[in-house]
Amino acid sequence: MNETSEKRQIAWVIDLNKCIGCQTCSVACKVLWTREESEKAQWWCSVNTLPGKGTPKDWEGMGGGFDDAMAPKTGHQPTPADFGGGFDFNHEEVFFGGSAGKVHLEPQAPREGRWAMNWDEDQGAGEWPNSYYFYMPRMCNHCSKPACAEACPSGAMYKNDDGLVVRDEEICSGSRFCMEACPYKKIYFNYERQVAQHCIGCFPRIEKGVAPACVRQCPGRAMFTGWLSEDGPVRDLVMKHKVALPLHGEYGTSPNVYYVPPLSPHPLNEDMSINAEKPRIPPEELEAMFGPEVHDALSRLQAEMDKVREGGSSELMKTLIAYKWQELLGPFTEDPANIIATG
Amino acid sequence: MKVERMDNEAADLKDPASAVWSGLTAENISLAPVPLAAQPTEYIRVSRADQPYGETAEASATAVGSGDQLYVRLEWQDDERPNGEFADAAAVILGSGDNIATLGSDDTPLKLWYWADDRDGALNLSSSGPGVVLKNSGVSVSAAASRDDNRWAVVLSGPAKEVSDSQMGVAIWNGSNDERAGLAAVSGWLSLDMEAS
Repeated sequence: MNETSEKRQIAWVIDLNKCIGCQTCSVACKVLWTREESEKAQWWCSVNTLPGKGTPKDWEGMGGGFDDAMAPKTGHQPTPADFGGGFDFNHEEVFFGGSAGKVHLEPQAPREGRWAMNWDEDQGAGEWPNSYYFYMPRMCNHCSKPACAEACPSGAMYKNDDGLVVRDEEICSGSRFCMEACPYKKIYFNYERQVAQHCIGCFPRIEKGVAPACVRQCPGRAMFTGWLSEDGPVRDLVMKHKVALPLHGEYGTSPNVYYVPPLSPHPLNEDMSINAEKPRIPPEELEAMFGPEVHDALSRLQAEMDKVREGGSSELMKTLIAYKWQELLGPFTEDPANIIATG
Repeated sequence: MKVERMDNEAADLKDPASAVWSGLTAENISLAPVPLAAQPTEYIRVSRADQPYGETAEASATAVGSGDQLYVRLEWQDDERPNGEFADAAAVILGSGDNIATLGSDDTPLKLWYWADDRDGALNLSSSGPGVVLKNSGVSVSAAASRDDNRWAVVLSGPAKEVSDSQMGVAIWNGSNDERAGLAAVSGWLSLDMEAS
């Protein structure tokens, strides 16, 4: 970490062509940060199947963020039912109730309206043989213009010097305006401690040169991190190759989690011949998520992939493949096993 | 507002339904919303521009001194029990200055003895403006509430020495209207006529 700018910006790039929806990032985050009973329903990092309703359910319709004139837009505060999950299960009944084979493990919550962080996993859209879906990890976007921090009356939410949106739980008064204002709806509320909680970008790890848990644990090598202003894969993918795009940039918060949009095979015609005129994932659906730039990004990705298939070499493809695992970690290559806890 | 002395009734005074209170004269209080322009963030000002808050316009208050404690019983009409994210709440405001309508300021923070229906007891807060609160430590305050016929009755109590300039105010949050932080109804200062012990 040789960058010394007071206000540097950490960023993530997530390659949706490589995400396999395994939830390892979600679990790596969960076991590190949200293990308290009162945090049971919190998934600061979660992977959803798209197209889908996501988490919280139908979050894209909940408002927040800024309008074209950069005025705040009123948002809806997601409820525990919108997030869902945090279920108790019938472990006792299944394992010790003497009903082996007759009862199955099941959330102890009413079936009607039941929801959880990846409840619509693998449903996707489209009709066979042209059904389609892809996975999208989501976390706090650590926005450059964080609507949450701007809405907070007490100053508990703020950008730290590494560009992470963090919070002071001693100052948080539990007013939850941050949850209304965040257009990505990635802030939770701890009802026991009466404070808002969200992804803190693993800032204690960052400060020790260790990559965030989601990035370091990703088995698909789909997540990159690094400083936006420093040479490396993150900067290259966002600014040089322009294949990594923000999700819903129109929300106006300048998010710092970028996504490499998913390519897809061609659909099949009724006679099972290949329809080479379009991809299976409708481009307009990707445009709705990533903006019109998605078309150029997909074209560039396809062209570079074709180049390699024809025996050529592609710097972009090498970067995305990430032959060396540590390339994903940016400057945060320290092994957490070597960090000695002093607190 | 006269603060009666009742030095042998401390246990009953904590109960808002106690007969001790019914023999005392309550003072009617007018409240008004914390001004929209005073709300601390643009998000709150924009999002609440067309969403009225702080519409609890009236309450009544009765105050008693007992030992070194001040007991304040508040009562107000509340037609709907909250069913959402935010609880009904009320506070006795202590302090001085001309910023009670905004629940204090950076320069002149106010003390809030704060009760909310979703938590046990009371909080002793320092308020530097709408929604800008910190917990005070070292001063013990308490609260008890009862609800009857769509009316809340709450007794908040704490050390009488916390009263400054012989005055107090009242704030009320209507939980069923998602009121919290600076989305509140606040009174002006009420003079306290403290009887000597």
